[in-house]
Amino acid sequence: MTEKITFTVDGKQLEGKQGQLLIEACEDSGIHIPRFCWHKRLDPVGMCRMCLVEIETPRGKALVPSCTTQVTDELVVETESDIVKKAQEGVLEFLLINHPLDCPICDKAGECPLQDQTMAYGPGESRFIEEKRHFEKPIPVSDIVLLDRERCILCARCTRFSDEISGDPLIEFIQRGNKTQVNTFPDEPFKSYFSGNTVQICPVGALTSTSYRFKARPWDLKKVSSTCNCCSLGCSVELNVSQNKMLRILGEDNEFTNQGWLSDKGRYNFEYLHSENRLLNIQVKEDNDFVEINIADANTTLKQKIEELQNPDVKFVIGANSTNEEYFVINKFANLMNRNEFLSKDKSNVYFADDHLFEGYFGDEYENATFEDLDKSDVIVVWAEDIKDNIPVLFLRIKKAVKNGVKLVVLGHTNTSLEGLADLYLGTEIISTNFELETSLSNVKEFQDIVEDKKVTAIVGKSTPLQQKKSLDALVSQLQKISSTKIFNCFSKANTFGALQHIDQLKGLNEFYNEYDSSKKNIIFTIGSNPVNESFFGPKVKNILQDADFVVSLDIFINETTELADLILPTTSFGEKEGTITNMEMRVMKQNKILPDPGSTLSEWEYLTSIAKSLGKDIEFGSVYEINKALVNEYQSDDIAPSFDNLNKPSNLFGVINRKDIDLNVREVDKNKVSILMVRRLYGDSSTQTNSPSISMLSTERFIELNSKTLEKYGIKSNVANLTQGPLSIFVNIRLNNLLPNDLVLAPINRRGFENLDPTKDFNLKETNNLKELSVN
Amino acid sequence: MKETLLLTKHMRENPEESHLLKSYEKNGGYKGAKKVLKSGSPELVLEEIKSSNIRGRGGAGFPTGVKWGFLAEDEERYLVINADESEPGTFKDRILLERDPHQLIEGMIITCFAANISKAFIYIRGEYAKPARRVQNAVEQAYEKGYLGKNIFGSSMDLDIVVHLGAGAYICGEETALLNSLEGRRGEPRLKPPFFPAVKGLYNKPTLVNNVETISSVPWIMNNSGKDYASLGVEGSTGTRIFSLSGHINNPGNYEIEMGSSFGEFVESLGKGVRNNKSIKAYIPGGASAPWLRGDQLEVKMTIDDVANEGSMLGSGAVVMMDEDTNLLLAAKSLVSFFAHESCGQCTPCREGTTWLENILERIASGRGRLSDIDLLLDVCDNISPGLTWPPKMTTICPLGPSATASIVSLMKDFRSEVEILLPKKVVLR
Amino acid sequence: MSWEVERLDKAKELIEMYPQKRSALGPLLYLAQDKDGYISNDSIVEISSLIGITEVQVQSVASFYSMYKQEPTGQYLLSVCKSISCEISKSSDVINKVKEFTNLSNNETDDEGLFTYESVECIGACGGAPAIQVNYETVEGLTPEKAVDLCKWLKDVKPEIVVADELQQKFGGTKSFDWAVEDNTGSSSPVPSFQSYDTSKGSK
Repeated sequence: MTEKITFTVDGKQLEGKQGQLLIEACEDSGIHIPRFCWHKRLDPVGMCRMCLVEIETPRGKALVPSCTTQVTDELVVETESDIVKKAQEGVLEFLLINHPLDCPICDKAGECPLQDQTMAYGPGESRFIEEKRHFEKPIPVSDIVLLDRERCILCARCTRFSDEISGDPLIEFIQRGNKTQVNTFPDEPFKSYFSGNTVQICPVGALTSTSYRFKARPWDLKKVSSTCNCCSLGCSVELNVSQNKMLRILGEDNEFTNQGWLSDKGRYNFEYLHSENRLLNIQVKEDNDFVEINIADANTTLKQKIEELQNPDVKFVIGANSTNEEYFVINKFANLMNRNEFLSKDKSNVYFADDHLFEGYFGDEYENATFEDLDKSDVIVVWAEDIKDNIPVLFLRIKKAVKNGVKLVVLGHTNTSLEGLADLYLGTEIISTNFELETSLSNVKEFQDIVEDKKVTAIVGKSTPLQQKKSLDALVSQLQKISSTKIFNCFSKANTFGALQHIDQLKGLNEFYNEYDSSKKNIIFTIGSNPVNESFFGPKVKNILQDADFVVSLDIFINETTELADLILPTTSFGEKEGTITNMEMRVMKQNKILPDPGSTLSEWEYLTSIAKSLGKDIEFGSVYEINKALVNEYQSDDIAPSFDNLNKPSNLFGVINRKDIDLNVREVDKNKVSILMVRRLYGDSSTQTNSPSISMLSTERFIELNSKTLEKYGIKSNVANLTQGPLSIFVNIRLNNLLPNDLVLAPINRRGFENLDPTKDFNLKETNNLKELSVN
Repeated sequence: MKETLLLTKHMRENPEESHLLKSYEKNGGYKGAKKVLKSGSPELVLEEIKSSNIRGRGGAGFPTGVKWGFLAEDEERYLVINADESEPGTFKDRILLERDPHQLIEGMIITCFAANISKAFIYIRGEYAKPARRVQNAVEQAYEKGYLGKNIFGSSMDLDIVVHLGAGAYICGEETALLNSLEGRRGEPRLKPPFFPAVKGLYNKPTLVNNVETISSVPWIMNNSGKDYASLGVEGSTGTRIFSLSGHINNPGNYEIEMGSSFGEFVESLGKGVRNNKSIKAYIPGGASAPWLRGDQLEVKMTIDDVANEGSMLGSGAVVMMDEDTNLLLAAKSLVSFFAHESCGQCTPCREGTTWLENILERIASGRGRLSDIDLLLDVCDNISPGLTWPPKMTTICPLGPSATASIVSLMKDFRSEVEILLPKKVVLR
Repeated sequence: MSWEVERLDKAKELIEMYPQKRSALGPLLYLAQDKDGYISNDSIVEISSLIGITEVQVQSVASFYSMYKQEPTGQYLLSVCKSISCEISKSSDVINKVKEFTNLSNNETDDEGLFTYESVECIGACGGAPAIQVNYETVEGLTPEKAVDLCKWLKDVKPEIVVADELQQKFGGTKSFDWAVEDNTGSSSPVPSFQSYDTSKGSK
């Protein structure tokens, strides 16, 4: 119902939409009604009573909470009458009687709704002379969130968020009346991927983050908007910096993408920027040791090496964290360095370091979806890698759509965390252990019934790199045949789509292994990628890098890949460079710079243009602005151009959709048996996370998931076991997941110890007497 | 004045067996339900209830016929009997549950027939263990005889009744909090709108929530007629009602009377007067939530409208007499402390305010009161219930908060000196 | 799985009585308390998996209601009413005497695990004020002395089942109304004696 109506507030005539909440309608018209428990993205509860206003009713004036009252035509509202003011003072006095005088030591001071509203609407003094309520303060409710129950005003925002939005109701009200407190169950801490959001929406300092506690006052912070770099959703964030250190990241409400929420990884994974392990100077390898040199010498070294090798094959293994501008330059540089005179399909030399890359569904026959489509469609179909672990805020958006009536169809076996929400979960009955459809979807009646003739948004990607594209093709073609479908290509790593849009005929790591010819002379550039650690076939990559004649790494830490390099060029990272990135909607969004370049770091594009110049080749860009101007020309002209100027305009702050032809050069993988389903978990041992102390402990647990039949088969009776494969042996915690097929074990690829497992080979599980909690670094 | 026995007739005449099905049937029980199911219609039942003008016996006094008319259409509808009698001073539902549970069951059958409901719950407070046992026995007897379950009395109607125990929360007497409790949640009242039980009740389905006494009256109404019921009592307060009388009188107990006599008459003739020949200082006309009336107001008539005119309420029908020796401050403190303990904690004014009021009264009672405390008490009450009127205007979600203020307002209005005496004397410097 | 088979069977039976599983939470908590004397963390974990909600959600509900005990309770739960009708009938004297005899303050259990004392709100026995409940079996019209006698008797005799009628005859006074027929059913734990939850003891 979007019928427009008029209503009166404090004598002024305002316009609103039928059914809109009064508090929101007033807000839209610039009238602020004070509140604590109401939040735009949560269902209203009318608990704090701060938003009371007077409305005219047939029975006289009534005092009602504006957050639970809908505007109706000709409604007359008073927000500043004497009764309303007294009620506001009363509520604030009530809230303050048990609230501790913690402002001097409380993180929230300076950005605290309770402080602000007390100043604006509160009584001047308190008349309370009794003893305040006391609790032990603060208590940790998880590794990263602390709770101070004395400060809590029981607005229920945190409990409602956990229940309604994230679906992890691990924090709840205990007791009743004046003794009510928020707490967790002793054995079940607030281990949610989204716990940090409760810290942001808490209107007082009751919930605080361990990473930010006592670090700064809000008025000390420099702030800038940016876009998160953790996954391809591209959450809008606000970076908070003080004295050139990133201290905090907050979620911004971008209606089209994250709607205010962040995953805890996106929120807390930034301390690495200031780690002492950060690479600050160019280093060249001499006798297995790294020696610092300057850029002129680096250029010279590289130039000499190229001449020495006489027309070497130059390949690029790139990651997902570069900006569009950087990919644009990488593409140009790669073309220049490609010894093939003309660019033919097989001769492209840039490889993207994500095992889940596949040819995708691009081009005119497929319509690309946006997140808004999730809410507007009738059905969402998911067959992709684990969404909750890899694109967490997309999980929240799917959950929200389902809550509002959209149906959900999930195909296994990696999205078991969506099974509780799904109207139809297709698992072992029709999908084999290696992700093939064992029966045609046209024979699955429930699938046909739920999808036929409906508007569908499909999230499609490889559940495991070993899955063949043709099984996804079967799903997509069936959907296109019987419904009107829009598609999300589910590539989860940060700026994957930026790479797809700006690198000609991008290839994947499979092509990298297959095309490497050790008989030739090879120079390999690794740019912001760590395939030795992160790829399924890391050992193969390691061999290649060790075999290559010269390896140049552009990165921010020494890691399993960069330690194999001959020349390391330290780069800038998140918050230290300006640029644009493209998310899975093809939405281009701005990233902004708020930190200085640390040490002697430069941006990737600065290195490549410098090298090119020293080689006598021409990529002349003086600034990132110039690059952006150049790349803007390559997008479709009827979209709003993703120029910095355009993106900085208020009307475009949420980003702009930009379509560009995408031409991937990725081949089908061979059919393979899947013995161990290796998945990426949200928290892993990437160098950014291990160098962020506040969250590094979250990625230490080693666990596997399997179903009870498999457990029985191996005779495991306890919840720890010993996983072995050949000479490899890992002690793991066991988690039951009865949606998995028999004889399949689900293991995290990004935890220490699992990196050398071969997913195609058999494994063994043994009982173990080692019952210690298995948390190792 | 005399009692008029409708609800309590069977139990008075057959004390040893009134809770058993055989006694109930021998005395005409289940006849009405059988007749209605055989040859009556839902519209007929609704018509009789409407013409009886019976008002809800739980405390709110809402016309039952009107309430039944609000029930929304749906395949899944429920009847929930509110047997969470926890209002201090009230023990009338207890006798109905303990001594004549079949009367309630018959009323439920007729109600469910009229409303096309096939699943009903009886929510009994957990402290009423014996009444709950009696009701459960009665339910089992009814099932055995085919009066509950599938095709009751051989008709096409099904009805299942589940007896559910509460667990010690007065707030669960509030209908939406009761539904939350029945759903296995915290007993927190819901927002109305949108959660009017008749539209979005139990499991978000249309639900009728009625008091024990209300539904227990249905068999008599159907056996006689709505008009007959309306001819008893007075206009606006028709039929009979069971009043629980307690406090400083000689004969406390439950008395079923037609409304219209005065409280004074009630106390003298049925309560057999005040203990030890004392006089009444103040009395509570309708349960702990009701503002007090003074001892010189005993001529007020026991009807919903008359008591409302005096600024109080007939509420749950619990009459508590306080004699001249009563320490009214401690009485008020006991009442406020009750509400503070029972507050669910959802909304700020009630959660913080009721305990604050309790603390202030405690301070005054233990001799540490201040002169400013009286105004403070009244202002805090005003912040919970603006204007201190009855029925109250609320800053809260439900009337529990304002109920806590009722006794304090009464205390200060009519008995201020009893409080002032405990406060330090104002020092006048010459 | 910390619950024995019979309790699990009863739990499943109770869950089936309701259109939605979660409604059985209340009865399951009584089941837990009947066996253990309080709601233990193990029971919370068990109930949480039977119903399909998180542990803290179970605890949130359990801790809301005053009859679900969060700590071990004695064999006899003594609940003395302190609401208005009892208050003005000198329940405070009964309270003081009982507290003195048992040497307990509010919500305390003695070391032997015999008594738990609590001052409670209106139990619906206002006509028989002052009133108390022992394991939710009501005794009305007590004097302070009779209340102490009652406690003494419980301590000396330690009856396995507490029956209201028996206690009323021995120690009670004015009743709220005529109890009429005698009832020999009682309770043996701090849980209301109710046949649907298998907590009713003694003959019907």
